[in-house]
Amino acid sequence: MINTGLFPAPAKIYGYLVVLLHQEIAGHSVLLSHIVVTLKRLFLASLWGVAIGMLVGVLMGLSQRIYRFCDPIITLVMPIPGIAMAPLFIVWMGFGDPTIITVGTIAFFFPVAYNASTGIRSIDIHLVRAATIMGARRIGILFHVYFPWAAVYIFTGIKLGLARCWRTIIAVEFIAAANWGLGYMIWDAAEYLRASIVYGGIILLALTFTCIERGLIVPFEKKTIEKWGMVRS
Amino acid sequence: MIEEYRTYLPEAKTVLMKDKLLKYGQFLFPFLVIGFFWEISARIGIINVDTLPAPSMILHEFYSLVWQKGALQRHLVHSLYRLFTGYILAVVVGVVIGTVLGLHRIIREMFSPTLSLLISVPTIAWIPVLLITMGLGGKTVITAIFLGGVFEIIYSTIAGIRSVDRQQINAARIMGVKGLGLFCKVLLPASLVYVMPALRLSIGYCWRALVGGEMLSAMIEWGIGKMIYEARFWNNIKVMFVGLIIIGILGVLLDRTLLKRLEEETLEKWGMLAER
Amino acid sequence: MGNACREMKTENSDIKIEIKDVRKVFGKDASSVVALNNVNLKILANKFTTIVGPSGCGKTTLLYLLAGFEQPTSGQIIMDGKPIEKPGSDRGFVFQDFALFPWRTVLGNIMFGLINNGYRKKDAREIAMEYINLVNLVGFEHAYPHTLSGGMKQRVAIARALAYNPEVLLMDEPFGSLDAQTRKYMQGELISIWENLKKTVVFVTHSVIEAVYLSDYIVVMSARPSKVKGILKSDLPRPRDFVGDDFLALRKETLGLLEEEVQKEIKLDSL
Repeated sequence: MINTGLFPAPAKIYGYLVVLLHQEIAGHSVLLSHIVVTLKRLFLASLWGVAIGMLVGVLMGLSQRIYRFCDPIITLVMPIPGIAMAPLFIVWMGFGDPTIITVGTIAFFFPVAYNASTGIRSIDIHLVRAATIMGARRIGILFHVYFPWAAVYIFTGIKLGLARCWRTIIAVEFIAAANWGLGYMIWDAAEYLRASIVYGGIILLALTFTCIERGLIVPFEKKTIEKWGMVRS
Repeated sequence: MIEEYRTYLPEAKTVLMKDKLLKYGQFLFPFLVIGFFWEISARIGIINVDTLPAPSMILHEFYSLVWQKGALQRHLVHSLYRLFTGYILAVVVGVVIGTVLGLHRIIREMFSPTLSLLISVPTIAWIPVLLITMGLGGKTVITAIFLGGVFEIIYSTIAGIRSVDRQQINAARIMGVKGLGLFCKVLLPASLVYVMPALRLSIGYCWRALVGGEMLSAMIEWGIGKMIYEARFWNNIKVMFVGLIIIGILGVLLDRTLLKRLEEETLEKWGMLAER
Repeated sequence: MGNACREMKTENSDIKIEIKDVRKVFGKDASSVVALNNVNLKILANKFTTIVGPSGCGKTTLLYLLAGFEQPTSGQIIMDGKPIEKPGSDRGFVFQDFALFPWRTVLGNIMFGLINNGYRKKDAREIAMEYINLVNLVGFEHAYPHTLSGGMKQRVAIARALAYNPEVLLMDEPFGSLDAQTRKYMQGELISIWENLKKTVVFVTHSVIEAVYLSDYIVVMSARPSKVKGILKSDLPRPRDFVGDDFLALRKETLGLLEEEVQKEIKLDSL
């Protein structure tokens, strides 16, 4: 029948995961440690990716010259999968966190920058004019008109970027993690043909990301963009 | 800081060769500028060429790979072969499954939860599964590519089929069209509006799956992803850059040229394109 | 009774804005378009002035020059002795598409101008509430624009433009996006608000009926490159009767001036 070695029953998968959960190294659950490490990397990559992405995106949006310069670069580099850049960064930065977080940051950066720039460029010029004639100065217009308007787009960019960053971090963990991380756990298990852990890990992947999405993204969206009636699908 | 881009042209401009060249030139300009400063920095010594090779060195490596060793072409051919095989499989299977699910509500509702679950797994995560079940060779890569693209196509086909105006189907039926003919002549073109963007998206996903798959499959010898991965063991950064640039260019080409043309030939001509 | 006459303004009472030899060109060289050429006009204080003209004749451009959104290619626009160079809070502007900030409530929108002009939040709120009352939107202070109807949005826009007490109110076809009934209602509202505040208003519209209903002065612009073709004065008491004899007479006269230019503009476009 089905090779239970390669396609273990769900109960077996669950069983192994529980074992890992309780298996401890230095006082911490192995399974949880893997998850936490990956989440930490995700968090740091998100921070940098959003910060740099918004900075570049806003600059691109405000200045036609900067846009014309950066747009071809983004067009060319954005589609390159993060995992392809990993070997390069492994040579430069070695295995482990620096490489993983850097590549994750790059993955997050592009959609944020691109969307931020699109958002700013798409501003309804009447809003800018209205603000100007009401006495607002340049900085005021930037913060009180451009930013709220672009927020919808930036938010879309963050949603996309988060998904990308997540996928990239897992992928890079396959080849560049130094012993810890959800991706590493799956890869390592695959190398030893431990199918249960592989499947279990994948399920955890899907679960973790869904939690992040539901827990963080959706409520934030409700409070701001939906309230303002500025929803874009 | 805020530049408004104003045009006030009473007549439409026809596209001249001059303008086309200008557009390409504008696209290349940033790269030329960066390349220029990069090269200078490398020559003066600000940049350590062991860590970050100069563009001239990368070009030289490119030349060497293509003409001297003939390696780049082989890598490319293998990669593209895998890509198109996986992609076409994804499209065919995806459209078939999508059509079936689109037409039959009961079957669709039966499979819907499974499908949602499957689609939420990132493509890259499939690869370890494939590696342990299918081994480390080329078949795994193609399957990964297939999985990368197929779900998007299934979903869009379902949406497309479901959106087909009942009237159009009835009109065709009255004219005697049925079965496969009905499918090809009515269902497919009508649902193209939904399927077309998915085709463009999918090739991007497939492309990513290709690169990832090749990097993780130990037993394959040729492929762009493999080339980059292998280069690590020789610390050959130049090869990596060549590979990355090829990936970037191909990514742009695949989407912009291939599929954009397809879209132009069909949807735009038929006036079915929603506002862009 | 009515007093429609054809004459350039020679009254010297309170000239609020003087437009001198203004010329506006868009674009460069071969693809340049002369929108306004040799425009001379005096806008009188506390009067309601409407600018009408064929489509594309640059009436909106002229309004933008008054607002400071654009600068004249040559010539000058002087308000209260000072040239207009940029937008400023001595003027208010109402756009055809409302241009409300979707992320701010009605109150927030109206307070925007006040806060930018140095009012404290508390004072700004009080003043904004007064204007909300003026435009009959009490109860909607905390609503977001996307929940309002077109007429309501425009009322918010008008309140917003008036709240910081500008000297001049500029309105660019403000009722153009509204349906016929709402439009009529808004015209009545606007006049009653105006009679209350008596500001200088410069109003741009396509509709001759609207112009005749609202204005003290009707300025008819010529086809592109536009200049002032004629000015009609109306002393009719308000609120005006849409079907009164005087009304219709003025309307006829305005249309007479306008029709020639519309024909010219049609010829221009078909070139």
